[in-house]
Amino acid sequence: MGFPYDEASWSVVDGAMFMGWGSAMPGFFTLIAALICLAVLVFGQKTEAAKTRQFEK
Amino acid sequence: MEEQIAELTAQIAALQAKSGTTNTMFAETFYYLTIPLMIIIHAGFLAYEMGASRLKNVLSSGVKNILAFAFMIPTFYFFGWWVYWGFPTGLPGAPGPAGISGVEYANAIAWGWGESAQYMGPNIADQASGVFFGAFALFAATTASIMSGAVIERIQTVGFVILAVVLGSFAWVVAAAWGWHADGWLVTQWGVHDFGAAGLVHAVAGFFALGVLINLGPRIGKFNADGTANHIAGHNMPLTVTGLMLIIVGFWGFLMACVIVPGEAWSWFADKPSTIYGTPITLSALSFNILMGISGGIIGSWVLTRDPFWMMSGALAGIISTASGLDIYFPALAFIIAFSAGFILKPCADWLEKRGIDDAVGAVTVHGTIGLYGVVMLGIFATGYPALQGAAGEAPTISLIGQIVGAVVFFLLGFVPGYVVSLLLKMAGMLRIPEGAEIAGMDMVKVPARGYPEGIPAPGINLAPGE
Repeated sequence: MGFPYDEASWSVVDGAMFMGWGSAMPGFFTLIAALICLAVLVFGQKTEAAKTRQFEK
Repeated sequence: MEEQIAELTAQIAALQAKSGTTNTMFAETFYYLTIPLMIIIHAGFLAYEMGASRLKNVLSSGVKNILAFAFMIPTFYFFGWWVYWGFPTGLPGAPGPAGISGVEYANAIAWGWGESAQYMGPNIADQASGVFFGAFALFAATTASIMSGAVIERIQTVGFVILAVVLGSFAWVVAAAWGWHADGWLVTQWGVHDFGAAGLVHAVAGFFALGVLINLGPRIGKFNADGTANHIAGHNMPLTVTGLMLIIVGFWGFLMACVIVPGEAWSWFADKPSTIYGTPITLSALSFNILMGISGGIIGSWVLTRDPFWMMSGALAGIISTASGLDIYFPALAFIIAFSAGFILKPCADWLEKRGIDDAVGAVTVHGTIGLYGVVMLGIFATGYPALQGAAGEAPTISLIGQIVGAVVFFLLGFVPGYVVSLLLKMAGMLRIPEGAEIAGMDMVKVPARGYPEGIPAPGINLAPGE
């Protein structure tokens, strides 16, 4: 995922060194992380609203 | 002209000397500062355990934790530091290819007597040994604190201290020698990579605690006759949650201490920091990934629990699940892994409880299960990355199989000594306090002080100001 596996040595790396650098993976991971945040907020609102409704007068 | 050249040469030499002094002072200060930061971990564990204890046991839980810390330092000085340098290649302690391991090498630098003692005490020519020892001793104390929380409210003090010494000054040290040293056989033969010690600190300590818990048994009242579990609430949830947050603060020091600074005779690089394996890293990498790990863990835990205890435990799980690869994870990937760790945390703890294990603070799950999860996750995502500094084609690479082998070894290095030593203590009558003392409360039995001498107001009673 972006790492020079053929050489398999850190000596050829002088910049970005994370997994996926140079491929679409960082953008993909960022999208997934953002979707998780969004989904959790939607789920959280839904379930908390259901709980608080039980206490409506 | 020659005079000018000579003058310039002298000036360059003077500048180089000053630069070297500055770098050495920086390196020493870098590790020195990790020590008080890691002591914050212990402040956190202290608050966490005391808050998770019932009122009748609050001070005895504190005594136990403080005493573990106190015994860890001298025992790590007496022999733990020697074990780390002596056995990276395994038994019988032969020297490794990097030339910084083996019994002979350890004898020369890590004993507090003879010629070796020059590296184990004040020495104006050695500005590294003391701060390295200090950082490692605090790693050791962290393992003891991890186990400490699991066994609260029923363990004997001296029995616990013996277990803490076995864990902190031996079991995890062997794991570190094998998997956290450039000559470690897990690294050189299997390409194990565990930058932030998810396996060799957290999993070892977590599964050591499991071995102890099997012999120690649950607290009175934890389980019903039909095997169902009761929740035993601690007396102060806010203190517990604050303690967990302090542990998170301290982990910045813990992970900082996993970095090798550049420019010294013992550094891997002249111009960039490295991991303990000699692979490059930056503190910026840590900042990105630790923060994303904490956040992912909290969010993942919140989905299922909505409980601040489990959310802050999720923060720890977030760090631990990504610790092996904090040097090379992309931050969004670290978030995703940490989220998954936070999400599975409570179900894993419930699974353990259903099997009759009374882990009072979830230490086996947070540190043990999630520690191994983190080690294996790195094998899935980082396969092919060099695990060690070295020339092309010569350095071992990370693989899923290698990480699984590492995970199994870390599990065994924790569980087996924990189970065996606690069984021996049980046979000697040194493991668990008598039933009557447990019911009366360990503070009344063992501690000549009271946690709350004026008591705690009962719920529902409205006191006027000043009352």
